[in-house]
Amino acid sequence: MNESLINPFSTITHPTAVQTSLYAYGTFARFDPSGRYIGVGRIDGVATIWDLETREAIRGLDGHVKAVTSLDWSRNSRYVLTSSKDWNVIVWDLAAPWDPPQRHATIRCDAPVSSASFHPRNSQIVLALLNTGEVYLIDLRKNHRSRNELCEPDEGDEDGGQRSAMTTARFDPSGRYVFVGTHSGTILVFSTRTKTMIARHRIAGGAGSLKGFDFPKSGRRLVTNSSDRILRQFIVPQYPPPDPDGVFIETELEPTHRFNDPINKTAWHTMSYSPDGEWLAGGAADPATHKIYIWDISNDGQFASTLDGGREPLAHLHWHPTKSSIASTTKQGSVLIWHSPNPEKWGAFAGGFEEVDENVEYEEKEDEFDIEDEEEMLKRKMKAEEEEIDIDTVIEDTSRPSNKLQAHGDDEDLAWADGDPDEDIAGWTMKIVMDDEDM
Amino acid sequence: MDPLAGMDDSSTDDDNTSQTTEDDPQVPEHDPPPPPAQPAPPPSSQQPSRVQRPNYQLQHTLIGHTKSISAVKFSPDGTLLASCGAENTVKIWSPFTGELVRNLTGHTEGLSDIAWSTDSVYLASASDDKTIRIWEVDTGVTQKTLKGHSKWVFCLNYNHNSTLLVSGACDGDIRIWDTKKGGVLIHTINRRCLKTLHAHIDYVTAVHFNRDSSLIVSCSLDGQIQIWNTTNGQCLKTIVEGHDAIWYVVSRCFFESPVDLTTSPRPRISAFLIAQTYSQHVQFSPNSKYILSTAHDSAIRLWDYQTTRCLKTYTGHVNKKYCICACFSVTGGKWIVAGSEDHKVWLWDLQTREVVQVLEGHSDVVVAVATHPSKNMIASGSIDSDLAIRIWEDRTGTERG
Repeated sequence: MNESLINPFSTITHPTAVQTSLYAYGTFARFDPSGRYIGVGRIDGVATIWDLETREAIRGLDGHVKAVTSLDWSRNSRYVLTSSKDWNVIVWDLAAPWDPPQRHATIRCDAPVSSASFHPRNSQIVLALLNTGEVYLIDLRKNHRSRNELCEPDEGDEDGGQRSAMTTARFDPSGRYVFVGTHSGTILVFSTRTKTMIARHRIAGGAGSLKGFDFPKSGRRLVTNSSDRILRQFIVPQYPPPDPDGVFIETELEPTHRFNDPINKTAWHTMSYSPDGEWLAGGAADPATHKIYIWDISNDGQFASTLDGGREPLAHLHWHPTKSSIASTTKQGSVLIWHSPNPEKWGAFAGGFEEVDENVEYEEKEDEFDIEDEEEMLKRKMKAEEEEIDIDTVIEDTSRPSNKLQAHGDDEDLAWADGDPDEDIAGWTMKIVMDDEDM
Repeated sequence: MDPLAGMDDSSTDDDNTSQTTEDDPQVPEHDPPPPPAQPAPPPSSQQPSRVQRPNYQLQHTLIGHTKSISAVKFSPDGTLLASCGAENTVKIWSPFTGELVRNLTGHTEGLSDIAWSTDSVYLASASDDKTIRIWEVDTGVTQKTLKGHSKWVFCLNYNHNSTLLVSGACDGDIRIWDTKKGGVLIHTINRRCLKTLHAHIDYVTAVHFNRDSSLIVSCSLDGQIQIWNTTNGQCLKTIVEGHDAIWYVVSRCFFESPVDLTTSPRPRISAFLIAQTYSQHVQFSPNSKYILSTAHDSAIRLWDYQTTRCLKTYTGHVNKKYCICACFSVTGGKWIVAGSEDHKVWLWDLQTREVVQVLEGHSDVVVAVATHPSKNMIASGSIDSDLAIRIWEDRTGTERG
């Protein structure tokens, strides 16, 4: 809302400097959809929630006995999901007025969980990727309670029927599809509702084992990270409704861009799109430095900048949901919050002053120092004050479309996901749990 | 100077119909309306539309304060009213029955301001003993004592999530506090007190967060309304009245050697009495698009802070010496409510700037007013010889919705 006041050049650029670092002992950190909090997963099984306004840890989610492998936020940040190597996925309810917050659900899996995430429209649908290369879609809703494995259909043909292990899995931003990456470098697309595979894509030229996906908010593009140390951006094809006979599309996808480090050939830990999808940040898996590469997608994917975060190597990064800010986690467990600082405007201290970059010859306007009829001025002022104003309608921030995607009437997939909704309603508040006064 | 003084005419006849002074006979009705009427036509004459008028009636008179009252605030859930003054206690009242619920004692000097947390559980109070206390209102226990200001703390406010507290003091400092950690004794000023803004040369008289806590507006007796970025403490804008022309400065030549803005202390006259002719109370509108300021030229102004344009001016009341509070009333009609040095509470129509009601009953200057978050209720507090809080309610407004 006040972006124009804080930053007069209101388009999102990429961050340039570290604003603050949180000593969180984490292995990764993820912003919540509002950008107010950050969730940090730790190796000791605890996840911590930090308030970015005060830069304090405000909740400790203590429930796992082994390292936390992933963390996800529900649409309105009320529920937090943590997955762990201890075979469990735990859903936490931050609306509970105490710390540690209430455990909302515990999902026991059959193997260590590598990652898990909420469905973008309903936090009762959970996607879990296991260490063993299987992907499960778990539905906790009363009327849909189920646990389905997402399987590539058996073909038993000349490949020997050997199914490739699944190495990464994510919902697309609409929640209609699950994108799964495999060890052999194919992308499998499943329908969330029917749990059937609707497409299988090979990557043109081969890519090696897939390590991760990221989508911009629009969901029309996809960037993949793979073991050949190249990030590839694809245009996501339009998929027809799932075929009842289990027929699926089989195509090869040609990347629109390939991002890599041509000199050092570093691998990538993670990548993240900016909120408007115009920038892509890649976290280099360099063992000695903390480097974030930024590419300008709007400018044909040109390399824009490298951010150097010091000597602690990078482990993970995540772009803020609305601002030009990145959270990057170091191998030592600190979370660096990057921002793009605005220079202080000294002219702001004097009312009616405006800063200029260099001296300008001031040209007096024709009528500038004319003596005006005071009555005339007063009348004009009164006239101007007639204008109706609105003091209490709050214009909601439109930069968060995620929870406003309406089900378009006959969209079966979205209607299915919206059925039996969760209690994650906008406007809930997290209670301040005050530390005890130790004085 | 006062362009809208003529408005007074339109309101005087109205005063008689809306008087609610049954229980207070010594009200100085002869109090002359301050500025002499000018020939300028009242704004209402241009549009004959009948503005709906509120009908506030006196409901309760809360007696208990022994020294001047400096602030009254309704809790956000509407169940309680807190008040403070030059004595060392905060009083918690029931606005519906007028009973005193609790005294919060602990401060060692008088208080200037109080603020409720959004969940109505905590109350923060700003005192002349240089500390801020955070109280748990239900138990009356001090949860935190925030120390750090070097002068009397004059004003404070919570942000929307109640994670931060902003306070302004009489040495010109604005501080942002972390309410969770609050009083933990750490020497690094960055942690305890996120940021110190060496802001104003004079007393900071009001501070307020906008809705998403990204901005703070402050004003002070040096006459400036300033808008700050909460996260880094940068000054974003300074608003002054009456400068339509823009002056250009080549950046920095002005401030090359930073001026020490923390000047020597000013002689204290009273908790809230300093004569100057500038803004002394300021706050964001409920949607944070505008700011409302009161000033010592007896005018209340509504500003568009993005364009620095004054959108509305409300006049008629008297405000020359004291820090008088104004607030928005949005529960029924849209009014601006303010105290006045003529011992009355004034209500204006937000859009037309017409005076719609004047509440009489106090026998001294009304410095503190507050509007109820959901009911058509106003609380007002007065100083020196009156020392009462009065609760006014508009019962008809509830049906009007």
